[in-house]
Amino acid sequence: MDLFVQQLVNGVTLGSVYALIALGYSMVYGILKLLNFAHGDVYMIGAFIGYGVLNVFGGSVSPVIPIPLLIVLMFGAAMLGSGLLGVAIERFAYRPLRNAPRIAPLISALGVSFFLQNAALLLFSPNFRSYDSFELSGGSLFLPLHAGVLKISPLRIIVIVATLGLMVALTLFVGRTQLGRAMRATAFDREAAAMMGIDVDKVIVVTFFIGSALAGAAGVMVGLVFQRVYHFMGFIAGLKGFTAAVVGGIGNIPGAMLGGLFIGLAESFSTVYLSSTFSDLIVFGVLIAVLLVRPTGLLGRADIKKV
Amino acid sequence: MKKAGLFLLTAMLVAAALVAATASPVSASPAAAAKPIACTGLPVGFMGPITGSVAFLGDEQLHWAQFSLDSFNKANKTSFTLQQVDTQLNPSLAQTGATKLAADSSVLGVVGPAGSQEVQAVGSIYKRAKLAYVSMSATNATLTTGKYPTFFRVVGSDKSQADSDANFMIKKLHAKRVFIVDDQESYSTGIADEAGKVLKAKGVKVDRESVNQKTTDFSSLVSKISDSTTVVFLPWQVAANGQLFYEQMREQGKNAKIFGSDGLDSGDFKASGRYISSFARDIRGTRGTAGLIKSYESRYGSKWGTFGPPTYVATQAMLSAYKAACKDNKATRSEVLADMYKVKIGKTILGLPLSFNRHGDNPSAKFYVYQITGSKRTLVG
Repeated sequence: MDLFVQQLVNGVTLGSVYALIALGYSMVYGILKLLNFAHGDVYMIGAFIGYGVLNVFGGSVSPVIPIPLLIVLMFGAAMLGSGLLGVAIERFAYRPLRNAPRIAPLISALGVSFFLQNAALLLFSPNFRSYDSFELSGGSLFLPLHAGVLKISPLRIIVIVATLGLMVALTLFVGRTQLGRAMRATAFDREAAAMMGIDVDKVIVVTFFIGSALAGAAGVMVGLVFQRVYHFMGFIAGLKGFTAAVVGGIGNIPGAMLGGLFIGLAESFSTVYLSSTFSDLIVFGVLIAVLLVRPTGLLGRADIKKV
Repeated sequence: MKKAGLFLLTAMLVAAALVAATASPVSASPAAAAKPIACTGLPVGFMGPITGSVAFLGDEQLHWAQFSLDSFNKANKTSFTLQQVDTQLNPSLAQTGATKLAADSSVLGVVGPAGSQEVQAVGSIYKRAKLAYVSMSATNATLTTGKYPTFFRVVGSDKSQADSDANFMIKKLHAKRVFIVDDQESYSTGIADEAGKVLKAKGVKVDRESVNQKTTDFSSLVSKISDSTTVVFLPWQVAANGQLFYEQMREQGKNAKIFGSDGLDSGDFKASGRYISSFARDIRGTRGTAGLIKSYESRYGSKWGTFGPPTYVATQAMLSAYKAACKDNKATRSEVLADMYKVKIGKTILGLPLSFNRHGDNPSAKFYVYQITGSKRTLVG
């Protein structure tokens, strides 16, 4: 029982990160029908921005400002920086190709991904950087809090609560605001939305900003909990985030959240109950199984076209 | 249209064949091994992870290799140089670097590479080029079974490391249950397999797990560590991962003793009270090394561990072979290779004699166990 509960905590933490990355994939796909393969690298840049802010304020060993404020600043800067990077990518790599065949922006996305990886390699070297968050507050953020059989560290609570907060905020934004409605309308039919007076370019820019900002937040979360950041970290995380988006039903926001948690839990439980050696194989096996049963993903709906 | 497609396909095949032909190391042929080269300024190849996840290790090895070379040149009035190749501990980069060194007919021997998987990756290239190479830290047991006839090493094999680690866990740590995690690289699985075998044979319960080197989330694995586990054994190469594993153990309140193989012997792995096996003694405080250490530290600083001194010895061995082959001021790869088998150093800075058997192993090499608390490093086995 202890082990099961512990895996829930581990799986939800990991799933939170995947869900935040998956949201970016899903939102962009929903609006533009584009697989933004540079998204994993935006997450990597977010992790590096968080690392930079941490070090500007004295690092983990001797921070010069209170730790809660430091963490808020890390998240804020990473989300802002990643969001702006997402907007720049859209403006310079995707917008000129918006009316080109679908393969063109896909290749452009791969190009941006390589560009970001290599830029990070050039700027930060191939060496691993560590948030050293174990040193923050003398390690107290890692010390487990006990609640019955549940053991969870304050840092994991921060990650889970922050993810929940961001998801609720996104859901409210998309469901209740005018811009959110415009996003849904654009996702439903871009041309019709434009004819109804919606500024489609603005909607797309906002979508990229929000999706990329969420990836930046995920980057800081990974840096805080798992500590290590490096130029290639976006590849596997991006792949898992994309898988989560597909499992949940790409283009569907609640689906991306569900898919992320599903992949995170599948990875944690397969490590413990099946095989640690083949956990990735099992996760991607689950993806294939889900798609065989529900080709549109858990919450996705097939496009119905009038013929 | 079909004709155009056929033309394109043929053109691509021809282009691919041309690329393959130009990529193959022309001068890595056996004929190059017999070509005499003038000894003035002769380069010795050096392969190490100068950048990347274990750059601390490569930097240290490079500095000690350079220091060894300069000391040798000064003492023997030679003018050998070092030609460095960065491998990042990545077998494919090691292969590219090895191709480059093998293609350079002035390189008659190589110090490195550092990792066992890299040695395996470059083995066929150096075998074909008859190029001797001596590793300062590759310990996989299969490397010295005759498959790599130009390979030598100054450190012991993983089999002896695994045996000595497992016996230490049984005798000194009184292990009843050991949790072993390999990192899916040949270095790691070799030690994990052998240590597991020895432990099981002595009635110790072994839980065996595996995780990729790129992983940073070990929390699920950590959850599997039972309360009755006495020792967690990590035969890994990325010290930062060892530290993450330890921190995630702390996060879940797991208190088993943590034991790392020589690959984790670095400042990045900081777990207090950790046990570490090492292929070399810490030469600080060893009789006769004070002057050498002072001279090294005046050039490169005092931040070095156990990876440097074996590199000093490996470079010394290769340069001894170079010197022997250079008797007539000209040398060939075949001569350097033959002279490597004749290298005999009565007492190296590691405190042990050095020579090589027919498979390239140093019969005198052994492993040590240290317990490290804070900055205090105590030899315990």
